[in-house]
Amino acid sequence: MPLGAYLTLAALVFAIGLFGVLTRRNAVGILLGIELMLNAVNINLVAFARFRTDLAGLIFTLFTISITVAEVAVGLAIVIVLFRVRRTVEADHLDLLRG
Amino acid sequence: MTGEMLGFAAVAVVLLAASLGVVLTPNLFHAVLYLAAALVATGVVFLLLDAPFLFGVQLLLYAGGVVTIVVFAIMLTERLVGESIRQTSRYLINGAVLSAAVFVGVVGFLVQMPAIGPRQAWPGELTALLGRALMGPFVMPFELLAVLLVIALLGALYFARSDT
Amino acid sequence: MRTGSATLALIVLGLPFASFLLLALVRRLRRSAGAAAGVSITAIAGALVAAILDFRTAVPREPTQSPSTTWAWLPGDGGPMATVGVMVDDLSLTMLLLVTLVSLLVQVYSWAYLHDEPRPSLGRYYAYHSLFAFSMLGLVLAPNFLQMFIFWELVGLCSYLLIGYWYDRPSAARAAVKAFWITKLGDLGFVAGIVMLWSATGTFDFWTLFSMGTMGTLPVELLPCIMFLIYLGAVGKSAQFPLHIWLPDAMEGPTPVSALIHAATMVTAGVFLVNRAFPLFRLTPDVLVLVAWVGAFTALLAASMACVDDDIKRVLAYSTVSQLGLMMAAAGAAAPEAGFMHLVVHGVFKALLFLGAGVVIHVFHTNDVFRMGGLRPWPWTWLPFVVATLALAGVWPLPGFYTKEAILAGVLHAHLTLPFLMLALTSLLTSFYMFRVVFLAFFARPHGHAHTPHVPWLMDYVCRLLAALTLAIGFRMAFFGEHHEGPGWLPAFSLTLAGAGFVLTWAMYHRRVVDPARVAAALWPIDALARRRYFLDAIFAGLYRWVLLTFARLIGWTDRYLVDGVLNVLSAWTLRAGDRVRGLQTGLPQDYVYGVALGVLLLFVLAQWSLR
Repeated sequence: MPLGAYLTLAALVFAIGLFGVLTRRNAVGILLGIELMLNAVNINLVAFARFRTDLAGLIFTLFTISITVAEVAVGLAIVIVLFRVRRTVEADHLDLLRG
Repeated sequence: MTGEMLGFAAVAVVLLAASLGVVLTPNLFHAVLYLAAALVATGVVFLLLDAPFLFGVQLLLYAGGVVTIVVFAIMLTERLVGESIRQTSRYLINGAVLSAAVFVGVVGFLVQMPAIGPRQAWPGELTALLGRALMGPFVMPFELLAVLLVIALLGALYFARSDT
Repeated sequence: MRTGSATLALIVLGLPFASFLLLALVRRLRRSAGAAAGVSITAIAGALVAAILDFRTAVPREPTQSPSTTWAWLPGDGGPMATVGVMVDDLSLTMLLLVTLVSLLVQVYSWAYLHDEPRPSLGRYYAYHSLFAFSMLGLVLAPNFLQMFIFWELVGLCSYLLIGYWYDRPSAARAAVKAFWITKLGDLGFVAGIVMLWSATGTFDFWTLFSMGTMGTLPVELLPCIMFLIYLGAVGKSAQFPLHIWLPDAMEGPTPVSALIHAATMVTAGVFLVNRAFPLFRLTPDVLVLVAWVGAFTALLAASMACVDDDIKRVLAYSTVSQLGLMMAAAGAAAPEAGFMHLVVHGVFKALLFLGAGVVIHVFHTNDVFRMGGLRPWPWTWLPFVVATLALAGVWPLPGFYTKEAILAGVLHAHLTLPFLMLALTSLLTSFYMFRVVFLAFFARPHGHAHTPHVPWLMDYVCRLLAALTLAIGFRMAFFGEHHEGPGWLPAFSLTLAGAGFVLTWAMYHRRVVDPARVAAALWPIDALARRRYFLDAIFAGLYRWVLLTFARLIGWTDRYLVDGVLNVLSAWTLRAGDRVRGLQTGLPQDYVYGVALGVLLLFVLAQWSLR
């Protein structure tokens, strides 16, 4: 398969993930959307690494996966604390930065 | 239609369907399951791209770790049902339009890309190469990653503490 | 044509200035009135001595030799733009004598007249006197228009300070401001004229300008306009119509002040200006004709107002305005020497009239002539005043006779018939109102029983000195002076006018055979108008208020709504825009993602475009 196919696939997944981030009302739902976007980026990286026979792309992917895991952990910890404090995880209610 | 193309088509369909499921299903728990499926499908894409080590990593970390964490988070925050379908249509359409626009933008760049030739072989066993690279030129980021994970761990612990 | 020593002139100038500096800076000196008076009087006496010396040691000079001594002041290319210095010719030498002499006598007289003033105030008074002497002398000695203008303004300042000496009296304060304002109007013209002259010729210097005038290198197109503007300064300072209204009110100042600056010196600055700049005025005969007409009209107008006033000082003030008109008419008739001669002698006997009035004011503690009288048994109260009256009325052999005749002759010679008739009528009225004052203030039937009036000997002796001086000048002119040719009938004519005035007043106010009220009723339109000063004051006040206040309101409106308005609108728009932009900060994270996504799209577009 040509490189373009993989890249297009990744772009699609990315767009779908973005859609999820923009439309989901639950904070955890938004984080799921972010997961999809990061996934798409990984596909991109690996595809490029393969077609250019460059190890750096794969290394990069390893790192992004690890970091994403850490980020999800911390993000969800924040969501849980938020839930404890405000009794809701709906994004529309999290507007303390307003004004 | 070569076997490879067929395989790619199948994986692509699964991945896309799962992705749509993640963002569209009203039930959050179902969304997580769909996400698991999407993550596994991505792993298979990695396999198709001759990176079996990454397939393994993806399954372990993502499909295993992330999904577990998210499930726990959902349990703890309790709201499972009643999501995007019940939003006002304004937001859905806005989001769809913007996502489509971003997709079009990226594809716009893709079509201008010069074609890259057929795949070359890896100079050796991929896993071994990765290992040597991690311990060699990329040892610094590797160590820093370790530090980052410790920090994330500490952060999560801090958040998780009780208020007494 | 003579020129005097510049050094002596500088001494004359410097002594009053030194006195002023001393009194202004050394507070203790000023607060002790006696010391202040001593310093000031000594300075002016010294100045008088120097002036006399300068006058006597003046040497003849060639017509082409400049009488000025100057030093460079403001730099400019091709020579200094302005100079300072002294111009010591016949005109300024005579003025030096007049100013220093009258200043000295007035300052001495003031010591007695203002004896009851608080000490520090009196010290302030003498400081002002010194400043005034310095300013007037500087004006008279100025070799160029710029220096003259500077001293002109200084003199105006001194007038303000001295009129408003009793500054806690509202009427005095108002009068001082009025004097300043009205003369300032004239000064506007003056400075405009000077600047125009400079821009046309490149110089302020009198001598240079006169030379240019005789050689015909003066640019003549704008000259009438320029000379008219310069004349406006004289109109203000010398109280010509319509800027004469400040002088009667200036009588709020102490009587010696009136004697000095509103009779003999400051108000004559305008006439002096016309005389000094006469070589330039000669080149603009149209302006001179205007000067003559305005002068004659002013003389008549003021004389009519003097006939109906009860305040002795105000009568004298109107008289001064009238005589100034006479002097200006002479200049306008191209006989400036006659006008100048009248200026000098008028300075002496008008000062005497004021100081003599001061005596009778001191006796009766009022200015109202109808509350005075019964001083016949004591000639030393009324004799100096009567001498001066005779001089003013133009009776032979007193100075006024010769100078007035010279002026009338000059006006006639210039074929200015209507002005001549106006001046003739003025002569009649002058004699009338002066003798009216004499009869009412001194010889009227006394109210209450008579007792010897007590007048300080200093005041009395100054008056006697001035009377003697008047008589001396008169006799000098009668028996040793050159007589100008004029029509043969003129002396008899002017004497007849003076006599007629005397007879009328004698009949009306002494013998009471003619009732003044009936005469007033017969002439009632003029009488009514004259009593109300022809409404000129009201017109001025109304105009000033209307013009100035309207303009001020316009400026205020512009400032509030346009200038401030622009700024207020800008700030309001900024605030409103800020409020609107604030709406973007919803606090919802997803909206921020929208923003990021839009930004990314923008970057895509830009990148695509730059790739092209």
